[in-house]
Amino acid sequence: MIDVSWGEQVVFYILAPIAVIGALGMVMARNAVHSALWLVLTMLSLGVFYIVQAGPFIGMVQIIVYTGAIMMLFLFVLMLVGRDASDSVIETLRGQKVAAIALGVGLGVLLGTGLYRGTVDLTPVGLAEANKNGNVQGLASLIFTKYVWAFEVTSALLISAAVGAMILAHVERRKDERIGQAAMMKERFLPGNYPGPKPGPGVYATSNSVATPAKLPDGNPAQRSISPILPLRELEPAEKADKHTLTGGHQS
Amino acid sequence: MNPTLADFGHDNGWIVALKVVGVFVFLVVMTLFTIWYERKVVARMQVRPGPNRHGPFGLLQSLADGLKLAFKEDIMPLKADRVVFFLAPVISTVCAFTAFAIIPFGPFVSIFGQKTPLQLTDIPVAVLLVLACSGLGIYGIVLSGWASGSTYPLLGGLRSSAQMISYEVAMGLSIVAVFMMAGTMSTSEIVNAQAKGGQGELFGFEFTYPGWYVLLLLPSFVIYAISAVGETNRAPFDLPEAESELVGGFHTEYSSLKFALFFLAEYINMVTVSALATTLFLGGWRAPWPITQLGPWVNQGWWPLLWFTIKLLILLFVFVWLRGTLPRLRYDQFMRFGWKVLIPASLIWILALAGFKTMNNENLPGWQRGLWIGGFAVILLAILLWPRKRPAPKLPLEEEVAQRPEGSFPLPPIDLQVPVSPRAKRITADREPVQ
Amino acid sequence: MDKLKLPDMDYVALLPMLALFVAACLGVIIEALVPRRFRNIIQLVLSIVALAVAMFFVVKQSGEVVASKALTAGGAIMIDHAALFLQGALIVLGFVALLLFGERSLEFGGPFVAQAAVTVGSERDREQTGRELGSTETFPLALFSLSGMLLFVSANDLLTMFVALEVFSLPLYLLCALARRKRLLSQESALKYFLLGAYASAFFLFGVAMVYGFAKAVDFKAIHAEALLGEGNSLLLIIGLALLAIGLLFKVAAAPFHVWTPDVYQGAPTPVTAFMASCTKVAAFGGLLRVLYVGFDGLGWQFTPVLGAIAALTVLVGSILAVTQTDLKRLLAYSSVANAGYILIGVIAGQQLGLTSVLFYLVAYGFTVIAAFALISLVRDADGEATHLSRWAGLGARSPLYAGIFTFILLAFAGIPLTSGFIAKLSVFGAAIDGGQTWLVIIGVITSIILAFPYLRVVVMMWLSEPGESTPSVSIPGGLTSTALGIGTLATLVFGVVPGPLLDLAEKASSFVR
Repeated sequence: MIDVSWGEQVVFYILAPIAVIGALGMVMARNAVHSALWLVLTMLSLGVFYIVQAGPFIGMVQIIVYTGAIMMLFLFVLMLVGRDASDSVIETLRGQKVAAIALGVGLGVLLGTGLYRGTVDLTPVGLAEANKNGNVQGLASLIFTKYVWAFEVTSALLISAAVGAMILAHVERRKDERIGQAAMMKERFLPGNYPGPKPGPGVYATSNSVATPAKLPDGNPAQRSISPILPLRELEPAEKADKHTLTGGHQS
Repeated sequence: MNPTLADFGHDNGWIVALKVVGVFVFLVVMTLFTIWYERKVVARMQVRPGPNRHGPFGLLQSLADGLKLAFKEDIMPLKADRVVFFLAPVISTVCAFTAFAIIPFGPFVSIFGQKTPLQLTDIPVAVLLVLACSGLGIYGIVLSGWASGSTYPLLGGLRSSAQMISYEVAMGLSIVAVFMMAGTMSTSEIVNAQAKGGQGELFGFEFTYPGWYVLLLLPSFVIYAISAVGETNRAPFDLPEAESELVGGFHTEYSSLKFALFFLAEYINMVTVSALATTLFLGGWRAPWPITQLGPWVNQGWWPLLWFTIKLLILLFVFVWLRGTLPRLRYDQFMRFGWKVLIPASLIWILALAGFKTMNNENLPGWQRGLWIGGFAVILLAILLWPRKRPAPKLPLEEEVAQRPEGSFPLPPIDLQVPVSPRAKRITADREPVQ
Repeated sequence: MDKLKLPDMDYVALLPMLALFVAACLGVIIEALVPRRFRNIIQLVLSIVALAVAMFFVVKQSGEVVASKALTAGGAIMIDHAALFLQGALIVLGFVALLLFGERSLEFGGPFVAQAAVTVGSERDREQTGRELGSTETFPLALFSLSGMLLFVSANDLLTMFVALEVFSLPLYLLCALARRKRLLSQESALKYFLLGAYASAFFLFGVAMVYGFAKAVDFKAIHAEALLGEGNSLLLIIGLALLAIGLLFKVAAAPFHVWTPDVYQGAPTPVTAFMASCTKVAAFGGLLRVLYVGFDGLGWQFTPVLGAIAALTVLVGSILAVTQTDLKRLLAYSSVANAGYILIGVIAGQQLGLTSVLFYLVAYGFTVIAAFALISLVRDADGEATHLSRWAGLGARSPLYAGIFTFILLAFAGIPLTSGFIAKLSVFGAAIDGGQTWLVIIGVITSIILAFPYLRVVVMMWLSEPGESTPSVSIPGGLTSTALGIGTLATLVFGVVPGPLLDLAEKASSFVR
């Protein structure tokens, strides 16, 4: 039987259920942000598992990179999508959900039992040797000797990803579309432009609607005080009728 | 005998508990103190007295504020996501406290007869723990912004997530140089590595250089310091809570204890990054040079706690100083600065350092070293001094004014004499006319 | 602490990969510095030069392979005869496909969209479709992909193989999204490919972990040794192999992991489809061969029945579904699924004969499929390529030359004598009978007959229908497409009439070094 320390067992029995709950929650949560948060929980638990299993560096990297950076970017996008966006529950293929769950559980059971049977009488070896010079140093020596090529080639992956992100997300502006701060200021002060902030709508005893224009000093309505996006419409007779607000409701 | 990595993990349960409580108390007290300290220093800079009503020098002001904050009404916005709204400040605070676990306060001390290092714990990747905690701490801010269900907090949350991720990269890269010099990521051993200076040789002169990495790795320290300010959302990088744009940013909708937790987390984060800077660059708990001449006792027992705290307070002063002096950056300039200046500078500096270390390891002859260093410097200079497009020649003011199109807004004459305000007449009459 | 000993690097052996990698990086810099209108030609020339350099060193190496020196880069890369053959094939096929990438005369601005980030259907999008020059980041991406493929076929451990798999897949996902016309379809295909591809990679990685659990190492030699030793519970090894196989079979588009193929082939820009259909297949089968022949040979080929069932399913699915297709690109996609099945039959055949036949098949099929897609890119109307089957009716009368070439290509797919398709199928089936897989050969022959039906239907449509009003015109190809088309067609003919030299080359190359 494998000798597992007391502390490791405690950590495992606390965090393992949490990790599983996080994974289930991630699949079941209706709200995309909640789903991402459940995933964060799972990843965090995994990070702690790595640390407990004598891989402190990889555990920390899991937390910093996956939980701290990647999931954060995920959240970033989800928040921009909007907090009320939920998954549509309409199935395009009938019975797809049931089939997917059945197959998924089947695969899980298959792999799980296979893994259990494959590892039940294994004795782990080599951990002490791998961490002989320290965990970080051991990793470094592997990366820079045996897997140096794979490590270097990863840079190709990163460059492709960066180029891809640029292609798919960056719209190049044409020369005439690019306006700097200085040009914008100049434009603002050109003749015919009003450089100051626009006046707000009028607030009167009879109306405080945004559609009511403010009044200029000479008593004319200020056109700038109404937003151009407000639609124009005819008032109905009932709206046009005197509501006697000025006379306190009494008909004179 | 200084504590090394092997000395950790042997403490009794009650000593560990005592240390945990100690760190907690230290942080809370530091927070209360820093709030007072900040208000006092800023007040001094603005030529006013600052808090001076509660306790001696107003020292109890922050305690009173904290109590008042706790008794405020706790408001839950109607559109808030209740669970996440509650979790966010908790995440912030927990992460802030956790990061402090690996900060070394001093060497071995004796606590009730038990000899133990004055540090809660240490692990081989201790510094990464701080980075991980600060990475997770962002969740608190982002989630609070999202869960409030309102626009300004959401914008604040988004800003902060972008900002902190960007500046975390620069921060991580600046620390890499320390790892390379110290050969370890454990905080206690990094402090040990700065204990002794080394023998250097330059142009035939032999000299002893000090061990503090702030001197050896000055570029790293500068980058760390800048990104630390960005990472803690402090002025001039306090864009997530820019009052003029976003009301209160991510914590607009928070009140009472939840707000207090954010407040706490922000100040603890400040203390943490300062403590980490002390540990990584300023020799940790070790006394600085003139004091070390007094005898070996200055670096033994409980004394180092004093040096550590003094260094910490000096760094905190810099934080306050920045806040008191600098205006807030524009958001796009701030992000551009992070990605296009700090990170490339970090990378080039790491490359240079790695090259230098390799040259030392390979024992290259002097002329080859000169060649490499010279080549590197030439390339660097060429990049920095590459001629840019010359801007159009600046016209004299009169011509520029003459070029303005018809119907432009009138300009006041350049030699305009502003008449003196009648109310100010009495004061100006005594003054010599400016000529 | 003991000092690190850095591994020996045989840079000459790595030069083909390095050349492509450096050219790709230069390409990215060119994108930043050179004005838009010169980019296409500069990128094309740069890519061709890089491919030529790579090919030169592959040929140079092929004369100097020594088993004891084949392993390099710290044991991560194995440059043996098979690796060099596959690398050479990838470079040549990649060159022909890249010619299609650079074509600008068929349509203003080439086959790629100018700015993929512009919303589909917006004002700006309509503006850029007809008027803006296409993006040329496609060249560096294709070169990155090719360098990943070169690494994939020569990787000597599973970890390097995984990295290579990602390096060659990621650019492909991106390239799929860059079509100039029918952009929604293109983006959908990229997303589908990406999601499923990531899923398959996860299976591969999981498999690597399992194999590591069994063999305590990820390099093929150690896995082989452990498997031969047969100590301990080999269950982990078998699970590992199954998961690895899922990852690899996804890439070769074998049923039931083929579902992405029709959508992606249809949606991707036609040059990219040509690139995927030829090069990805070579790389993926190269990897599969190495895993099975070098790493898991020690299992004594217990997995043959399972792979056989997959091969049978693949040919059946590919051929039967091809019959029902009405879009030419989808038809070719299903035909490519079926062809993956035939190649798989050759893989299962085992021994040197099987290996030879697979290598031959890959090259022959690669050339033919590039020619086919080059031709599809020629038949266009106002909305771009006209790929619906009905539109091709009566093409024979409009332009007999191109209809004739396409007929020839289709006959090659169907495996009619005097084409390379015939020789390829013959050698695969021969090897399978030799390897005792007669039942697969029977299924293979039956499905070949089924598959001939859709091909012949297209032929009949082109020649025996009257051209209607909707029959599109055949654009006059520019030099690049004509060259690609010519090379592809010529290769199909030459390998069909005088297959000897290539077969000899494949036979010489059909040995892995362990």
